[in-house]
Amino acid sequence: MDNELTALTTIFTEFYYWMTVVLMFLIHVGFCMYEVGASRYKHHQHTLMKNTLLIPLVTITWFFFGWWIYWAFPTGPGIAPSIMTESTGLILGGGFGANDLANPTNALMAINLNDHIMGVFWAAFLLFSWTAASIVSGAVIERITTFAFGIMAIAIGSVFWSIDAAWGWHFDGWMVKLLGYHDAYASGVIHAICGGFALGILTVLGPRIGKFSSSGEPRNIGPRNPWLVCIGLFLIYTGFWGFYAACNIPIFDLGPEYGMEGVTYFTATNIYITPTTLSGITQNFLMSLSGGLLMGYWVSKGDPFWTYSGGLGGIIASSAGNDLYHPLQALIIAAIGVWCAYKLHYWVERKFKIDDAVGAVAVHGYAGVVGLVICGFVLWGYPSSGYDGYAAINPIGMIIGAIIMFGVLGFLPGWILAKILHAAGKLRIPRDVELAGLDYNIMEQARKDERAVASSNR
Amino acid sequence: MKPTVTNWVEHLTADEVAGQIYPFVGTEWLWLTIAIVLWLAWHVSTAVGESEEHQKLARKKHGSNDYKNNITEW
Repeated sequence: MDNELTALTTIFTEFYYWMTVVLMFLIHVGFCMYEVGASRYKHHQHTLMKNTLLIPLVTITWFFFGWWIYWAFPTGPGIAPSIMTESTGLILGGGFGANDLANPTNALMAINLNDHIMGVFWAAFLLFSWTAASIVSGAVIERITTFAFGIMAIAIGSVFWSIDAAWGWHFDGWMVKLLGYHDAYASGVIHAICGGFALGILTVLGPRIGKFSSSGEPRNIGPRNPWLVCIGLFLIYTGFWGFYAACNIPIFDLGPEYGMEGVTYFTATNIYITPTTLSGITQNFLMSLSGGLLMGYWVSKGDPFWTYSGGLGGIIASSAGNDLYHPLQALIIAAIGVWCAYKLHYWVERKFKIDDAVGAVAVHGYAGVVGLVICGFVLWGYPSSGYDGYAAINPIGMIIGAIIMFGVLGFLPGWILAKILHAAGKLRIPRDVELAGLDYNIMEQARKDERAVASSNR
Repeated sequence: MKPTVTNWVEHLTADEVAGQIYPFVGTEWLWLTIAIVLWLAWHVSTAVGESEEHQKLARKKHGSNDYKNNITEW
């Protein structure tokens, strides 16, 4: 940084991403609150620990290999050539390769006076990874082992979401090039994949004891604390501001980037380096939140949990195209997404006896898929990139993209991993433990301590 | 209908860069009309549903402390 303007741009960008990380921390606080609120008293502490432990597990694996996967896999490998290396192999070198930027032994992966961005960019992506694992966490509460969940959290948080981001959420991603895939605020690359992954686990894990009657009728279990659930969701909304901001590059000159001779065009861009405005996405965020809340309230007949979940689902449904939609379009798309998610949740629950304890598959998975499909129609013909040779956004590409996100990289790995863990006897807690409560020993000890303290006089 | 933007380079190098990049420019009135109809329908529908729910509950003639029997201990 040898002049004031470069320094200002660099430090602004560094601070911008740093702020997104702090805001996105609230997503995790929210997830912890709402999972504990949704669980029963006898499972509270284990539920909290399960969700908390994903922070270190995903963080260290994101440092070891998750970030590296993102930079190495945009070509597939073997599906489409990189615009940087012109090869379909893994992108490892050439200045923007995985070994240049994300190898944990590389000098850029530490404090480095020559680079102010990569560390904080790594952190912003890491917070997406936590979100990915947290989405799955809520669906499986009260019966999965902490060990199995740890494996699942690493798989979705540091492997499969990283692959899907490389494919469909990277300026060089093959899905963007060949399919015209567009997913500005991660309807698919975070939400659909995690919904699919959770569904894959749930089909093997099975429902909580008592969830279905002997005739197969579903019953509601809890939540023990509806207030905590709703405020948790409120905090997730708050963290989502950081999530949206982190999906952008705040200031970028597109002139030289697109080879436009003599043109200087500074703008905020999305992850594909196509222009948008923070102003516009703020409107769209709020309008899609509102569309989701209104639909959630209406379709659930005023149920607080589904109203709040509807707000989240609304944002998720319109996120794919919220860099370009008109606010009124975002509002309507959000409402459609939430209606579909709500109806699908209860249909799947009844038909396939799936016990999704917090509606994560619906709010993230189904709303995300619906959002991707709608985006393909509404943004039909828009360029997916500013670089030459990329397919335009189109419905078929977006539908295939939704299948890849929800099915291929979401449901399938979740189902296979759950099958392996189930075969090893490590997936589900013993029936007697589930009945007694995961926290039984902790609570028994606390009771003894309480009696001892109460009967002591010195 | 033609997309608002078909090529970013052409769009950004035009003599006068068009600021509006959202889909279906020129149909804002249509979107607004749909949104207003849905907004009004929402009020009507939720008001009807709320009245029905209240009437149903009122017919049961519960006392002011009866809710305590329904406090769950999950």
